[in-house]
Amino acid sequence: MEEYNSGDEVAFNADEVNISIKECVEGVIGGTDYNQNKVNQWTASIVEHSLTHLVKQGRPFKYIVNCAIMQKSGAGLHTANSCYWDTATDGSCTVRWENRTMYCVVSVFAVAVTL
Amino acid sequence: MDDDQTEEETAFVVDEVSKIIKESVEATIGANAYQHSRVNQWTTSVVEQCLSQLSKLGKPFKYIVTCIIMQKNGAGLQTASTCFWDNSTDGSCAVRWENKSMYCIVTVFGLAI
Repeated sequence: MEEYNSGDEVAFNADEVNISIKECVEGVIGGTDYNQNKVNQWTASIVEHSLTHLVKQGRPFKYIVNCAIMQKSGAGLHTANSCYWDTATDGSCTVRWENRTMYCVVSVFAVAVTL
Repeated sequence: MDDDQTEEETAFVVDEVSKIIKESVEATIGANAYQHSRVNQWTTSVVEQCLSQLSKLGKPFKYIVTCIIMQKNGAGLQTASTCFWDNSTDGSCAVRWENKSMYCIVTVFGLAI
């Protein structure tokens, strides 16, 4: 039983992370409109809360959390990422969120740590 | 002396990575104006080129490369990232590039194995 559990803990669970990131974004910018003065603290807040939540899970991973917030004004935005890692143990998760005035894209990368 | 050289070979060198990023961006979109139909292949091309140059360095690192291309239209864009890693061995490098019609932001994260 214990062996089965440790197998579970070591893999990157993208679905779980997806849900917790969405909650995090909703919590910070959920009911707001794009505000140039506040966007700085919003992005910082989103990445910090997401990271704290991930670290609390206590899994053997290094994390990188990236957040981009863009005002809706007709401009085109394209993002891409590529990773050179161990596909068996490492993983990533990207969440796209929007409201009437802005887009928010959050990416989480998790790289396994060999203990 | 030998110890110092080994450390350099296995450290994340920001200048070196910055140069690789700039070359990849220039080679892919250097002379172009923003085109909605091509931006998909541009972002892919930039990250792939960066990644292959980085892996050629032969250092014991895992890499994550992200690229954002945005049309210049007056919109505001803010990005932030935070990392939970080993400060003594891991590092990141972000390069902001622009021309008359678009912005391009490339970030490379290197995590020691």
